[in-house]
Amino acid sequence: MDSLDYSQQVRDRFDRPANAGRLLGPVISGVAGEEGLGTRVEFDFRLRSGVVEESAFRVYGCPHAIAAASWVAETARGRRLDDTRWMDPLKLAGMLEVPEHKLGVLLVVQDALEAAAGKFDESEDR
Amino acid sequence: MICSSDIIYLDYAATTPVDDRVARLMCECMTREGVFANPASRSHQLGRDAQGRVEMARHEIASLLGASHTEIIWTSGATESDNLALKGVAHSLQDQGRHLITSRTEHKAILDTAGQLEREGFEVSLLVPADQGRVTAEQIAAELRDDTILVSIMHANNETGVVSDIGAIGQLCRERGVLFHVDAAQSAGKLPIDVGEMCIDLLSVSGHKIYGPKGIGALYVRSCPATRLEPLIHGGGHERGMRSGTLPTHQIVGMGEAFRLAGQQMESETYKLTGLRDRFWAGISTLGGVLLNGHPDARIPGILNVSIEGVEGESLLFALRELAVSSGSACTSASREASYVLRALGRSDQLAQSSIRFSIGRYTTEGEIDRAIAIVAKQVHRLRGLAPKTPVTSGREAG
Repeated sequence: MDSLDYSQQVRDRFDRPANAGRLLGPVISGVAGEEGLGTRVEFDFRLRSGVVEESAFRVYGCPHAIAAASWVAETARGRRLDDTRWMDPLKLAGMLEVPEHKLGVLLVVQDALEAAAGKFDESEDR
Repeated sequence: MICSSDIIYLDYAATTPVDDRVARLMCECMTREGVFANPASRSHQLGRDAQGRVEMARHEIASLLGASHTEIIWTSGATESDNLALKGVAHSLQDQGRHLITSRTEHKAILDTAGQLEREGFEVSLLVPADQGRVTAEQIAAELRDDTILVSIMHANNETGVVSDIGAIGQLCRERGVLFHVDAAQSAGKLPIDVGEMCIDLLSVSGHKIYGPKGIGALYVRSCPATRLEPLIHGGGHERGMRSGTLPTHQIVGMGEAFRLAGQQMESETYKLTGLRDRFWAGISTLGGVLLNGHPDARIPGILNVSIEGVEGESLLFALRELAVSSGSACTSASREASYVLRALGRSDQLAQSSIRFSIGRYTTEGEIDRAIAIVAKQVHRLRGLAPKTPVTSGREAG
């Protein structure tokens, strides 16, 4: 796959990224990556009884990073934040048709999710 | 879904469409009713007719360069011309010296050829352009040695459009008795060139950069005094033994006509392209955080290379897919590495990644420029809005 040939799902999420933005008020945020290294991902999660009620993401990165962050923000809803096993970068790579040399991008997305989950562990909302 | 017909072509520095007038002449040289014979077949009239067309085209190339037609050698393009110039001189003069000078911002056709010569035992000095992408005669003077046999500096850079002072470098080389080669693939037909006045010994040009066909180019080789070149391709003794192979009459005729038209229209096209480029720059620079890459004044009118802060390069290129543009240059786009030209000019890896080369040409319209400005503005705002933060300066600096 050429670097600018993206799967339909990546194209859709790149053009219309659901859940992009920032949540106001009390949220748990997770951050990973650096812009200088090409990818930075931030998530905001608003919880009710430990379950993600609302989510949002911000990304500086390639279309695969935008699509993956959008998918994670969407998929996290209705799930407990202290259990992130559903986020499997390899399975996500298969679903979005992310080429092997871009797997690192998905790991940054996973790290941002894990960073938020880590804060949840420390929070009182369990 | 974006249809190909909706895409605005802003990649004229990569290649140009063949001008209709050029295509018509080319077609006359392909079929049996036309001038299809081998120009080397001087034993019959059809061959001599083809030879006549080839020689007419040779005159057109020479005329645009201020050269004699006897100093033009046909090649397959500027890459071959660059190879023939560098390897041809190096192999021919290796008894006199084994040192060459060029710059880090040359086209890969020069850099990779220089790398091959290094593997063969030659020494190559690679200059970093001092003046916002311009190589100066002072820089060359500082690197010249007793064993320097060739200096090769491009006229206009293919990524930034920056123009070096070729005349001053040529004068220096002539005074020091060192051969001077110029890659003029991006400048021929766009800037005045006079190989005599500019003291140029060898000069590479290409057909497809100025509305001629792909697959044809030429090398100017100064004849007085004769410049010694070791040929790359043997077999048949064509082109005075310097480049064997049956001449592609239709390609040559096309390149000749393209050069004739370019010479005829140079002044009006320069005026038009400068206006369009400035209109485009005025439109996108208001976004903030849009940095002009390269010298602000010494550049050809058709290229505008910018880095856009706060957006990632690959996403930017994909977001701008309604525009046919290059990231860095077409040759580096394939690898998606940060442009080595912009890195040599001091741009950070991140800004080099988020650079776009817009190049305009004969068929670009004001309407296309205005639509392109609107697309760039919309997509840059959108991508910056997705990003965690937008570290955007308001500068319009050149780098």
